[in-house]
Amino acid sequence: MTVVLVRLGLVAAVLAVWEVAGRAANPLLAVPPSAALPALRDLLLLRSYPDLGASLLLTLREIATAYALAVAAGLAVGGALGMNRLLGRAYGPMLAALYAVPAVVWYPSLMLFFGLDAASKIAFGFLLGFFPVTLAVLAGIRQVDPHLVTVAKSYGAGPLTVFGRVVLPATLFTLVGGLRTGLALSVIGVIVGEILGSKRGMGALINHAYGLLRTADYVALVLVTLALIVGTDVVAGLVERKARAWSE
Amino acid sequence: MERVSAPRVRRLQLVSVLLLLAVWEATARAGWADPLFVPAPSAVARALGTIGGPALAALGDTLGKTAIAYVLSMVLGVAAGLAVGSIRLLREVLNPFVVALYGMPKILVLPWIVLLLGYGTAPAIFYGTLHGLFPVLVLVTGAVRDVDKTLVTVARAYGATTWQLYWKVLLPAIVPSVFAGMRLGIVFCLLGVLVVEMFAGIRGMGYVMGALANGFQAAELFAATALVSAASIAIVLALDHVSERLSHWRG
Repeated sequence: MTVVLVRLGLVAAVLAVWEVAGRAANPLLAVPPSAALPALRDLLLLRSYPDLGASLLLTLREIATAYALAVAAGLAVGGALGMNRLLGRAYGPMLAALYAVPAVVWYPSLMLFFGLDAASKIAFGFLLGFFPVTLAVLAGIRQVDPHLVTVAKSYGAGPLTVFGRVVLPATLFTLVGGLRTGLALSVIGVIVGEILGSKRGMGALINHAYGLLRTADYVALVLVTLALIVGTDVVAGLVERKARAWSE
Repeated sequence: MERVSAPRVRRLQLVSVLLLLAVWEATARAGWADPLFVPAPSAVARALGTIGGPALAALGDTLGKTAIAYVLSMVLGVAAGLAVGSIRLLREVLNPFVVALYGMPKILVLPWIVLLLGYGTAPAIFYGTLHGLFPVLVLVTGAVRDVDKTLVTVARAYGATTWQLYWKVLLPAIVPSVFAGMRLGIVFCLLGVLVVEMFAGIRGMGYVMGALANGFQAAELFAATALVSAASIAIVLALDHVSERLSHWRG
């Protein structure tokens, strides 16, 4: 109880300091909460950016496409590397080495290759989401009881059947964690891609407001984008809980 | 499952890389891929020669900023982690905020950071520090919280001062988490610095890569990407090596 009160007090204190500092500072650089709220209202009423709906939808579509591709490729690659010892020993360390490179180094090449439109954002979101899914599949497969696999094989199951019927259900618990991390990273990939260079989508609106020093609009756009991110995470969390309850 | 010998693994790795390069080179030479977008590996190797000197200078600039951000984030992260982990009220109040900030895409505040700090070195160091700080903070907080209470009680019973408690009991207990945070942190710091250089840079590898992409100089861009990747992998491997040595020494 006290903890919750202290937390609320902390939030209030931060907002108060922000309000005081924001009023004192140059309005081009700092926006107090009292000025951010009207900007948020204007934004939501489509007064400042009439194409807000289309931008949100585009960003959401990029995220969904990137994530779907990341899950499909992650399951396939993780499954292949996990089920075959030679492939796993050869390519597993190479994937791990690539994971040690900050992913943003690939973005200029993706932008050059796929252009400034949605494709380069989808590619970057895919790249970021792909690794956690693949690594979770690999980690999950290592935990599967080898006896189950042996029994299934001795009853004549092929590798695909073994993967679909034995390995996947047994790894589900580990997998859902990786799927959730993958979604969070796909979202970050798309947003980073949009802010580093795009013509449409939430990142483009944020860059537009920032470039014109419309700082209040910028804060409002960031709040809306944050709501989108938190929203996807909440939905993912609900799905994760359902899946875990079902796999037990 | 069948055993797999190490030479077979090495052979497969070597063959796959060579095959990939050969197919890539053939595709580019045969004209199936537009060299404007997909330069042949031989062209990338030549480009590495042409951008060599300036690219190395830019890489040095980026790594210098990364080093400052890295030291800052480790010192701040360990200090804050010790404080938040060992003081119960602080931990209970701050933990949800720390976790939320860790997960939030920090790119959303980057335009504001650039507005405040301008173009160049300062925002890169600030943003790099912001990225590197959270993994080590979260890891150290958890490690301090999980320190065996008996150790603390015994140290107290033998009359240890608060200073001795931190220095002799808590600090040794968090060493593995600090190493884990150091390994994650370096990639995060480098990522943060590169992002700022791409977004609002005037120097450094991120700026160079952004400029090459805008200029459609694919071969030079691929060469620069390979250079940064190699540097990053080398740094992580070196850190792994050092932390393995040190954990041997710890016993």
